Amino acid sequence: MSDSTERPIPSWASPDSAETNEEVLTALQTYKKKDADKVIVRFKAVGNAPIMKQNFFKITSANRFQAVIQFLRKELGYKGTEPLHTYINLAFSPAPDDTVANLFKSFQTDNHLIVNYSTTAAWG
Amino acid sequence: MSTYGTTRHHHSPATNFSNNKAIDYHTTLFRRLTWDGTVPLEIRVDPKELPANSDRNLECFFIQAPRVSYLPLLMPEIRRFFMDLVFDDSAAKDLKDEEWWFETVEGTLVKWHWPIGLIYDNHTISASTKPSTSRSSTNVAPLRLTLHLASPPNDKLLLSPSPEACKQAFMGQLKEADFMRWGSTKRMTGLRQQDQDGLWEGIKEHNFDDYWRVASKVTPTTAPTRTHSPAAPSSSASMVNRPPSADPAGPSERDGAYNVRSVPVRLYLPDGPVMQSLVPPMLDDNSPRTLSHYLTEHIPLLFPTPPPAPPPSRTNPHPRPPPVPSPAYALIQGIVTPLETEMAWLGGCLAGADGWVNVCIGINS
Repeated sequence: MSDSTERPIPSWASPDSAETNEEVLTALQTYKKKDADKVIVRFKAVGNAPIMKQNFFKITSANRFQAVIQFLRKELGYKGTEPLHTYINLAFSPAPDDTVANLFKSFQTDNHLIVNYSTTAAWG
Repeated sequence: MSTYGTTRHHHSPATNFSNNKAIDYHTTLFRRLTWDGTVPLEIRVDPKELPANSDRNLECFFIQAPRVSYLPLLMPEIRRFFMDLVFDDSAAKDLKDEEWWFETVEGTLVKWHWPIGLIYDNHTISASTKPSTSRSSTNVAPLRLTLHLASPPNDKLLLSPSPEACKQAFMGQLKEADFMRWGSTKRMTGLRQQDQDGLWEGIKEHNFDDYWRVASKVTPTTAPTRTHSPAAPSSSASMVNRPPSADPAGPSERDGAYNVRSVPVRLYLPDGPVMQSLVPPMLDDNSPRTLSHYLTEHIPLLFPTPPPAPPPSRTNPHPRPPPVPSPAYALIQGIVTPLETEMAWLGGCLAGADGWVNVCIGINS
């Protein structure tokens, strides 16, 4: 946005700076970096849901909760159409696009994120 | 200064009163303003997908949508407009509206389960990082959405566009917010089923009274409710600065916004990520945690620690730290929010209908 005519520009019409501050963009990139850390997720069956032999898993915390649901379905051998409800701390279903990192930071118990699963709606 | 918890700089008429009615009025006022907030949307069918014989003169639908509402709730109106006025009758018959989905004109997928106000603010901050050529000079430009009529990318949308799925997600968010505040969902699960459903009905009908009749049972108020001594006007020892244990408070105050385990708050950066963690309303020294504390702690590269205030002098007994121009700003419910705003106050007054305070970070140009 260069103005070659040297015409004074009234303050209300002054163009925004053409370049957003490089430093700021670098800062944003820093926060965008995916967290490679892993956290322990502990699955617990509710009601008559099948029990897992191994129920502790280390899961990359940058994953979305949706990935946890898919992982759990695979472990249980559940098809896409079979209902499977998932909850945190026997209390609520998180949004599927929330990250494991966010859920862990907010709701971990003794360094575990407890994910309950049920074949019927329990705390929905 | 105010004797109840709110933004310290705020001089509302309510600060002149010390009775609880005025204080309740204050909280209710901001809840009302939040509830009444609307955003303009401009919805255009993807020209490549427009069925044959559509009326191209009317292809654009404008709506002023409530911030606290959801796109699945607007679908009947959007559908009616396009079906009745734009699409040819025979073409309309083949369209399945459960396959409809939205993108911004920039190509960002629009999630069904995000409140419309959040979709709008998230777009504003995303645009704030882009070269300004396409940006409008006013800040009330409509959010331009492209409506696609087929092949929804379900793996990315995550939830179905049905109002029922949206309701489930909404209730889930309310319970998650409850858990953030108290470490359990007792308050939410303690509501009768009829009341729980009433919350969603309030959103659907955009009825403030219906929604808040129930929501006020689970949302902490910012009003101190001590009855044994009326709050002294203008004392620097604000109620909220006292350790909670020092107050022989009734149950209402224990339920107050300044006594929660954590304020339900999420931080949105332009084009991601979204950050969430425990945000206690008070600092270790028992002073209220402000937006400035919160942002400096979580995104110090964008909100550096402010310099200390100069020592008090006779002419300036309560000096403020010198202002530092920040490269970024915080947008909450579409409002550029002063950094001295207290987190607890935000939780009680500016949370969305799902209980969450959404702090969107934009970049100053």
